[in-house]
Amino acid sequence: MRRLRIAAERWTQLPLFAGGFALLLLIAGLAIIFQNSRSYRAEQEASTRVQAEILGASVVAALDFSDRQVAQEAVNALRANPEILKALLFDRRGRLFAGFSRGDSPDSGNVIRVEVPVANDGGRLGTVRLVRAEESVGRRLARYSLVGLFVVMAALIAGVLGLAANALGRANRQLGERAAALSDANAALTVQIAEREKAEDQLRQAQKMQALGQLTGGIAHDFNNLLTVIHGSADILQRPNIDEAKRMRFAAAIAQTASRAASLTSQLLAFARRQPLKPELIDVNQRIAGMSEIFERSLGAGVRVVTELELGGCIVEADPAQLESAILNVAVNARDAMPAGGTLAIRTFVDRLNEDRKAIAIAISDTGEGMDAEIAARVFEPFFTTKGVGKGTGLGLSQVYGFASQSGGDVTIDSTPGEGTTVTILLPCSEKKLERQELRCAEARSPSAARRLLVVDDNDEVGAFAETLLGELGHSVARAHSAEEALTLATSEHFDLVFTDVVMPGMSGIELALELRRRGIPTAVVLTTGYSDRIAESGSEGFAVVTKPYRLETLADTIDRALQ
Amino acid sequence: MIGARLFPATLAISLAAVPGAARAQVSEAAVKAAFLPKIARYIDWPPGAVAPGAPLQICIVGNDPFGRLIDEAVAGQSVEGHAVTVRRGGGLDGCHIAFLREPAAARALAALRGRPVLTVTDSSDGTKRGMIHFAQKGGRISFYIDDVQAAQAGLGISARLLAIALSVRSRRR
Repeated sequence: MRRLRIAAERWTQLPLFAGGFALLLLIAGLAIIFQNSRSYRAEQEASTRVQAEILGASVVAALDFSDRQVAQEAVNALRANPEILKALLFDRRGRLFAGFSRGDSPDSGNVIRVEVPVANDGGRLGTVRLVRAEESVGRRLARYSLVGLFVVMAALIAGVLGLAANALGRANRQLGERAAALSDANAALTVQIAEREKAEDQLRQAQKMQALGQLTGGIAHDFNNLLTVIHGSADILQRPNIDEAKRMRFAAAIAQTASRAASLTSQLLAFARRQPLKPELIDVNQRIAGMSEIFERSLGAGVRVVTELELGGCIVEADPAQLESAILNVAVNARDAMPAGGTLAIRTFVDRLNEDRKAIAIAISDTGEGMDAEIAARVFEPFFTTKGVGKGTGLGLSQVYGFASQSGGDVTIDSTPGEGTTVTILLPCSEKKLERQELRCAEARSPSAARRLLVVDDNDEVGAFAETLLGELGHSVARAHSAEEALTLATSEHFDLVFTDVVMPGMSGIELALELRRRGIPTAVVLTTGYSDRIAESGSEGFAVVTKPYRLETLADTIDRALQ
Repeated sequence: MIGARLFPATLAISLAAVPGAARAQVSEAAVKAAFLPKIARYIDWPPGAVAPGAPLQICIVGNDPFGRLIDEAVAGQSVEGHAVTVRRGGGLDGCHIAFLREPAAARALAALRGRPVLTVTDSSDGTKRGMIHFAQKGGRISFYIDDVQAAQAGLGISARLLAIALSVRSRRR
């Protein structure tokens, strides 16, 4: 690289050399021409002199013997040379003896005049004078022109080379400068990128902490409220001498509050997208149409509901309860944004998800206060609320977000302060065909006979509780603390049903169920979980699921159904 | 040809103004007299024919037509370092150039045959020719050259002289 640069530098000096060389050539050429001109003239004179001498020699006798005829003949021989303008022969007294003179010749100017004496042993006999035309400028130029042409060409080439080298050098220099500038800019850019990334990381971290803080704070706050009621009620119940009515009241309070807590955790799970869903094939339009009564009840008289449902729509595979919750949450928010009443419009239309998948869009618009971009960016955060204290949990839209995401779709918000807000839920269309929904009739069930059940749970308290509950239902219950223990028990003893927690250290509840099936052990399986990535993502492998926290009835129903 | 005949013509005219044919004769004689030493310069004598330092002798055999003219013509002349002298009468010995006049010309030519002597005759005299034979042609004096005789005499004649002669009887190469 360095060698290249040195060579390039030498090349840039070339124009100087080339220019000097060209100049040298020019000077040399001119000098040659000049010198040539002088020497040529001298040559011409010399050759003319020779001719005169030859003539002189040839006319010696003629002059000597005054033989004019012979002399004239000799002189005339020079006529053949067109350059000889005059050839004159003078006798010893200087009188013209013989000669010729061309009519069209100038007597002075560019002529070469040569005089040569004619003599012999006896003395001077006369003089020969030749007048010769000097080479005309035209002929001279013609003679020089070829040489001159070569000189000029050489000079031109040298000049062009010089210019080219100069231009090359300049271009190289510029290139070098540009390259240096570019590398500088690149370095600066790299530094900037690094700094930007660092700043972004810091920002993200700060935002994460803030969100976490908001979340944990919110959860703690809400649960504290609920716990107060539960604890307080329990305290009262533990007092002696409580009357029946009071006991019932406080027991009910505990149950109710526990329900609320359950729904809270459910909502939290929904946001975390870890809620176990029960997806079904739903016709969205049908569902929305069926929600009109719920809207009436929840939104009040001040809100006018308008639906615009695209014909055809599409079938989606989603949890119907969660879908209704999501739409309801948005509707409630809309109601709260229109304290003086307004219009709620629900529109469905077919759209595209991520440019490729066919999806149905549920656009819920209100004519309320609207919100600015800053707030709009944060509405899906759990516990984020613009409502006053006690007026909203801040979990509504986060449930919508969680549900949409978990169902493979998306939710967007578009709002203009003072005009209104539109929340659009996008759900991917399913390829499956909807079968006619059969109304599930509540079967008249008789409670099942006492069966042999196995409860599997790694949590001692929860396991004991389940054992108690099932015992209350009249069944005979055994307990295992792990899936492995359960397997051992199940292979040695027959159980009618295995009631197992999913999330357990070691083998999970699902794995246990699958293993039992694989081993061909005939037993029903009911899973229970409050939280399972596995179930949320890939379903429960066909096994029945009771979600925690479960009420007695739910448990009984599921057990009975599974035993049938 | 500018003034080809100018010289002799003017001379002739100027001299014609002088009465008497003697003048015309004198001019002719003067020319011939002038020619003799001139001619000598175009002749090569064999070695030994002219002793070094010795004068070149012009012998006039017979009637002297030149008189003072020939003396004036040769005065101060030298041919290749030899002075030129004139002798009238006295035989043929010691002559380098012999101007022969009739009627002695024929006998002299015979006597001089083979000897390195330039024989000069004149057509106005007679027809017998020597090596150089004066004649008049076109109003001027010229001469015939017999190179065969010169060759026989061992003399060389310059080609330049041969060139201006009226005619040349050339020796065989």
